[in-house]
Parts: sequence; structure tokens; C-alpha cells
Amino acid sequence: MYQRSLLLLLCLMLAACSNTPAPLAPLPAPAPLDDWERIVADARGQTVNWYMWGGSESINSYVDQFYGTALQERYGITLNRVPVSDAVLAVDQLLSEKEAGIDPGSIDLIWINGENFASLKQADMLYGGWNQKLPNSVLVDYTNPALIYDFGVPIETFESPWSSAQFQFIYDSARTDPADLPRSYAALLEYACANQGRFTYIAPGPGAFQGTRFVKGALFELSGGAEQWRNFDQAQWEQWSPQLWAYLNELKPCLWRTGSAYPATEYELHGLFANREVDYSITQSVTGAGALIAEGAVPETARAFVFNDYMIGDYNYVAIPRNAPNRAAALVLANLLLEPEFQAAQILPENGFGLGYGIDVRKVTDEQDRATLEAAMDRLGAPATPPAELLAALVPDAAPEYQSLIEEGWRENVLIGN
Amino acid sequence: MLAPALVIVGGLFGASLWYSVLKSLGYLPFIGQFQITLEAYRNLLPGSGTPASREFLPALGFTLWVSGAATLLAAAGALGVVVVGLGRTRAPHAPRGIVPLLNLTLAFPHLVWAVAIALLLAQSGVLARVLFQLGLIATPADFPVLIRDPYGIGIIISYTTKLIPFLLLMLLATLHAQTDDYAAAAATLGASRWQTLRYVTLPLVLPALTAGMLLGFAFVFGAYEVPALLGVQFPRMLAVLALDFFRNADLRSRAEGMAISVLTGAIVLLVAAVAYALTARRTAGHG
Amino acid sequence: MQRGAVGCIWLYALASVLLPLGLFGLHALGPRWFFPALLPDSLSLEPLLALIGNPRTQAALGLSAQVALLVTGLAVLIGYPAARALTFAPLVGRGVILAVLFLPTVIPPIAIGIGLNSLMLQLGLAGTLIGVCIVHLIPVLPYVILTLSSMLSRYDRHYEEQAQVLGAGAWQVWWLVTLPMSLPALAVAALFAFLISWSEYLFTALIGGGRVITLPVLLFALVAGGNPTTLAGVALLIVAVPMLAILLASRLLGGGPQVVGVR
Repeated sequence: MYQRSLLLLLCLMLAACSNTPAPLAPLPAPAPLDDWERIVADARGQTVNWYMWGGSESINSYVDQFYGTALQERYGITLNRVPVSDAVLAVDQLLSEKEAGIDPGSIDLIWINGENFASLKQADMLYGGWNQKLPNSVLVDYTNPALIYDFGVPIETFESPWSSAQFQFIYDSARTDPADLPRSYAALLEYACANQGRFTYIAPGPGAFQGTRFVKGALFELSGGAEQWRNFDQAQWEQWSPQLWAYLNELKPCLWRTGSAYPATEYELHGLFANREVDYSITQSVTGAGALIAEGAVPETARAFVFNDYMIGDYNYVAIPRNAPNRAAALVLANLLLEPEFQAAQILPENGFGLGYGIDVRKVTDEQDRATLEAAMDRLGAPATPPAELLAALVPDAAPEYQSLIEEGWRENVLIGN
Repeated sequence: MLAPALVIVGGLFGASLWYSVLKSLGYLPFIGQFQITLEAYRNLLPGSGTPASREFLPALGFTLWVSGAATLLAAAGALGVVVVGLGRTRAPHAPRGIVPLLNLTLAFPHLVWAVAIALLLAQSGVLARVLFQLGLIATPADFPVLIRDPYGIGIIISYTTKLIPFLLLMLLATLHAQTDDYAAAAATLGASRWQTLRYVTLPLVLPALTAGMLLGFAFVFGAYEVPALLGVQFPRMLAVLALDFFRNADLRSRAEGMAISVLTGAIVLLVAAVAYALTARRTAGHG
Repeated sequence: MQRGAVGCIWLYALASVLLPLGLFGLHALGPRWFFPALLPDSLSLEPLLALIGNPRTQAALGLSAQVALLVTGLAVLIGYPAARALTFAPLVGRGVILAVLFLPTVIPPIAIGIGLNSLMLQLGLAGTLIGVCIVHLIPVLPYVILTLSSMLSRYDRHYEEQAQVLGAGAWQVWWLVTLPMSLPALAVAALFAFLISWSEYLFTALIGGGRVITLPVLLFALVAGGNPTTLAGVALLIVAVPMLAILLASRLLGGGPQVVGVR
């Protein structure tokens, strides 16, 4: 008797908090990609589960405020932004879903880049054929080699761009005279050893691509160019990697904590910089230090700068898993990301996102849209690196095979060392 | 009546342990790998030349060091408080009001506690700011490295300070339940206060202390959040290493991550069994 | 001398509660507080209010409360009969049962967490609230059962027999004798269950698959995003609820030292 009522209660509680999807009715055939109006109609009432890195509160609220509102008001779509501490968690989830044969799954759209894209493409977990069918894809330059390769992997029809980013440094104009800033890796070594413990970089590794990018830039400078690294060449790697480790090991004793520890994330480095433990931080933002100032993560006197060369820039993208439960809504959102009004909003520091354009402004034909986009660039002001300097130093990323060689090699030869 | 509890605890626990072991043996259906192999375990051994072999032994040593140091320091601290603070009273009761206060420290999850420790003890943390204002340090670099240090000091501080109230409460609970009569008897028989402490209080609290230390050691040994937050990139603690490997983009390293997590569990179990055998023998010897 | 020593304990206990609260409070109310400033330039409630007003924070708070309360309810419902059986029923294999119940308190979550993730996916429970609730029961139930059975061993069943002799029916005995007499034990066990579930990170992160964002999961994600103002605000939220629960419980129960698990 007692046991039975217990069981009943248990069932009630289970039923109350279970939110597993109802048994699957046969799904209606998805709208063809050419019929955008039907896609929009299908998407109405759906909830789009957007998995993205959730470590930055300002990016989180930008996404909710701008896309969340527009999706609801214009398309009747609910945005469920799922913040993950590392994009690799979403990859993990998809792989586990594949293993368990779960379809429809739980992820509709992922903010993704580089290595995770390669993993998912390799595991055949991405939905394809859609990116150039989005109405706004006419604004994207699909002939730009920097755009159609993500960390060297061809994006084909699996990814649509959202924004762009470029490696930069941050300094505090209240502490450092711009004339003293190092403008190359060679100068950086001198600076670091003349100012013991005042520089560090983010530990290269999965989830900390900024650190890997710092090391790649050093490799480019040592070998005298970025171009030859766009295709994988084992012999070339073996020729130059010893010099790369030698450079980093020469730098190591001059670093913060004499190189025994490195910040694990960009924000940890911002914290060290803001609290005057080190002189420079690292960012990918087109606003330079602007977005971070607005967020209160760095002092108001923070400014961005670049070396004269080898500052890696790239695009970042969204992708749709093969087993996305709300594909139509994901397509609508991917298209919304490319709207000129939101592209203009995303670069402004006060909005909290602060990454560059995913679209090509020259392809925008609407006069007013174009004026808005150009005005936004003009508003970035002092905390940002001047666009001309960014462009002069811009290089594309290396082939994806180098990624894990650099990360593992760095652990073995620099972090652990001998 | 035990069935639901056993199904949930035993069933889920056993099934997931089975899954972990299976995967550590290389059963990875989604990359088409179905046969069983010990490769993941071999890859952990020194000399196999894999990334895992470079990381595993240092991680094991580091984990033993951190969990051992934190447990011993916490036990010494808690015992010290009992001996110094309460040892001179005839019936060592906790002073009124202290227990609710100690209980309040349990409201801080370990992760939150570690955040507080980091805010306080980082080289540019609040303590460093106080010392700067007092003129004792000139830059953050003058402050000792306590957070994200290669010796795990930050992790040890975090766990020690969190374990002390836990052990203290365990000891106080034991004393509260048992001491009155024994202490009174000892006093009647003319024992000095220190004799009471030595022959009554300590033997009474030792079993509780050992059990508490074992729980503490096992907990720190397998902990993830705090070392992930306060640790360095090398050496990593076992749980951090396991999860990092498991989440590596290279799918093959998942088996190694599983193997590390299985070994972590096995070591804890071994320690628990040894501790249990030792206590059992001591109890038997006394009987 | 002795007064001094007791004073030390007091100081330690007081400091370990007030210091973290103070740290979090200053950081949460004082944005842009950087080394070497001793105190923030200005204190303002605005960042904390913005955090509390943020729908994501509210969702996490609500989810944390839902999970912890459900887990508490389930743990007591399942744990109480189990504890009674362990204490009073003549059992074969009591040692084995105790060992099974004891294992999850020592085996690290990481050792089973990853396998548990696969298991829950197979069961279709990964990423669901109920999946997370069930998984929380693994660390919670042993503590609840061990607590209940240790408190029940001091429980005198003669009262129940007496009531029966005096003509009470089974339900009357349960309602008028058993329940009131077990209430303190149940309250303590419920508090433990709530605290453990409320603080749980790893199981929630692994089984929730990024979809069940409780406060600890939110905090861990923010750690990588290191903005100390938000971080401290969330930390305050996480601590406030169990503090109230503990204060309330010690009001209700009074007296003796109770030990919550190491978690």
C-alpha cells in the first residue's frame, strides 16, 4: 500500500518534470531550400536551440537582445540560446547523439569555428547545401579565400559566416607610451626580457585558439611568411618547428610566472592586464578594447595595437547539425545574422559583441544599409586599431593539420620542456 | 523497501561504470571501433611516447600530493582546534552558537569557495591590494604565487579551508554524542585534563576523524571544478586530465580519457579498502 | 587561555562565512575594481540588479530550485523506507547493501560521469531536467539514507506498538506517531539532499549537456569569461539560498552538531 502510493507519487513527479519530446509523429517533409517563404512559414512557432560559447555576459545579452527580440517579433520564433563553457561541448553532445542514434537531436545551430568544424565535418554530422540559398547570402563574398576556408578546411555548403575577427594586442595608454610598443615578435622578445614578468600569452590548446594563433604568428615571422603555411607540409613543419620552440623557450623565462603558468582563457588574460600583472592583453575584436571597456573588463584607457605583420584574421560561422530538430528556424536565424542592420549593430562596442562584418560591405546595394554599415565602422574610435593598420598586418590562418601539431608540440616542448 | 534506492544508486552507478570501462577498452562504435583493446591503458604508461604518457604519471603524483596534503592539513587543523580549543574543558562541548556558524560554511559549494579564494589570494587579489596600500608590496609580482601555481597551493588552500569545518563538525558530533559519561568517569577516577584528552577524547574521535579523512581524500582525489579553476596547465589533476582528454577533438583520445577516469576510481577504491582494513584490524586488536 | 582558544574558533568560523560574502559583495557592487585600489571607486546596486533582472539568471535560479527541490523530495521518499528497512528489518546481505550505498560517496563523479552521460543518452534522458534529477540522486541518496538510518537507530519503535495496542489503525500510527517522531530526521536529511543537489556541478554539466543550466553551471561558464562583477553576483545568488535553508533548519531543529556531506 505504502509502496504503491510512493510509486504513484514518483510517477507523478517524473511526469511533472520530464520534458522529453513527445513520441515522434512522422515529420512533414521539410521545405525545399529554394522556397524561402515556406521555410519562414515552417519556422513560425519553432524554438531554435542555438549552442554557443557563453563565457561573455556582454555577448550573451547582445544575442538575446538583438536576435532574440527580432526572431520573436518578425518570425514568431523563440530563441533558446544555450551557453556552453566551450564550443567543444556542443561537438561532444552531437557525437554522443550520433552514437546513440538520436534524431531529431537537441541542437539547431552552433556558433562554431575551426577545429570543431573539422571534427563535425569528419564525423558527417553537419547539414549541407544551404549556405548560399539564404536570401542574404548575396551579401557574402563566397569567392574570398579567407572566407571559404575555416582554419584551412573548405566550408563548402556547411557553414554560413556570422562575423570576422583579427588577432590584436591591447595595452593601457595610461601605463605604456604607444611609441614603446613592440611591432614584431622579435621586438616582443626584447620587450619581455627587458620587462621581466610583464608579458604572457594564452596557453595554446583546444578551446583557446587565441593562444594557438599567437604561436602561429611567431611561426610565420620566423619562417618569413604566412603563405607557405596554407597547405600542410610535414617536411616544412619539421624544418621550422625547432626554431619556433627555441623562440618560445627563449621568451619563457621572461614571461609572467617565468612561463610556469599561462592564462587559460582570453578573459583570464584580460583580468591579469586590468590588474596590472601584465602589460598586454590579446583580443580578436574589431572594436579593439572598446567592447571590453564597455563591459568593465579592462580600464577605460585600454587601446588596441597590432604588429606590423602576421596578425591572423578569419571569419566565424554558424553550422546546422544533420539532426537539428528545428531546421527551418535555424535557417531563418542564420539569414538574420547577415542582415545589414544586425551586422552594423554587432561591431559597435556598446552593444557588447564587437566582432567584425561577416558580409562584404561592397556587396550591399541598398544605399541606407550601406551608409549604416560605414557609419558604424567610423564610430569605433580610439580603443580600436585603425582599419588600415589591421589590413596591413592581416594574414590568413595556417592549414588545420598544424593546429594539433602546434598545441601538442607546445605542451611537450615549451610548457613541460626538459 | 530498499529496492528503489538500490536500483537508482546501484543500478545507475553500476551501469555507468560498465560503460566507462567498456569505452576505456576502446569500444567506440561511432568511429567504427568494436573490438576490445588495452591500448588506451598502454598509452598511459611512460615510454609509449604518446601525449597521454607524458601527462598521466605527473598527474597521478600531483593528484596524490594535493589530496594528501589537503586532507592531512585539514585533519591537523580540525584536531588542533578540538585539542587547543576544547581540550581543557572537562566535557569538550562546542561553545554555543559555533555549530550553526560552522554549518553556514557548508552553504558554499566548492566551486564558489574556490572563486572566493581566487579573488582573495591572486597576485592582484584583495589581499595583495591591502599589502600594496600598506606599502609592503610594490607590484602584483611581489605577492607570493598562490593561485594557478605549479605546486597546487591554491587548490590545497581551497580544499583545506573547506574541509576543516566539515571535519570539525564530524568531531564535534562524535564528542557531543559520547563524551559526557566517559569524561565524567575519567574525572572520577582522578584523570588529569590532559589524560582525559589523551585516553578519552582522542580515541573517541579517531574513528570519526579517519572516516572523515577518507571521505575528504576520496573527494579531493577525484575532484574536477576546483583544480580546473585554480590549477595550471601542467601538471593537471587526474579528473581534469580525464575530461580534457575526453573532450579532445581527436576522437581516439576519448578512450584514454575514459581509462584515466576508470583508474582514478580504482585508486580511490583501493585507498578506501586499505583504510577500511586498517581500521578493522585496529578495532579487532583493541577488542 | 581557554577563552582565547574558543575565541580563535569563533574568529575562524566567522571569517570563513563573512570574508567570502564580503569579497563577493564588494566585487558584485563595484565594477571596474582593479589592482591596486583598496576598494571600488563607487558601489552601486545596478550591476547586481541587472544580473538578477536578466532572464537567463532567473531561468538558472528557477532551474536550480526545481532540481534541488525535486531531488530533495525524491530522495526523502526513496530514502526513508530504505533507511527504515536498513535499521529495523532483518536483512540478508546488509553488508553488501551498505557497501553499494557507500560506494558513490567515495568513487569520484568523474569515474562514472562520462559513462553516465552515454547511459542517459541511451535512455533519452540526457539534457532533460528529469535526467539531471535522477543523476543527482546518485550522490544524494547515500547521504540521505545513512543520515536517516543513523538517526532512526535512536528511534524507539515501542511507541508505534503502543499506539497499535491502543487501537490505532496503520494510517493513524503512521500519521500520529511515526511521522511526527521522524520529522527531525527527515528535516535534516532533506536539508542535506537540498545542499548536495544545489551545489552539484559535474553531473549537471555532463548529463545536462549544456541544456540544463543551473546556477553552478552558469558560474563555471562565467569563470572562463572572468568578468569578476558578474561572477561575484552569481556566487552570491548560489550561496544565499542554502544559507537561508541552513539558518531556517537550525532554527527549527536547534541544538546538536550535524554533519553535512563533504560535498
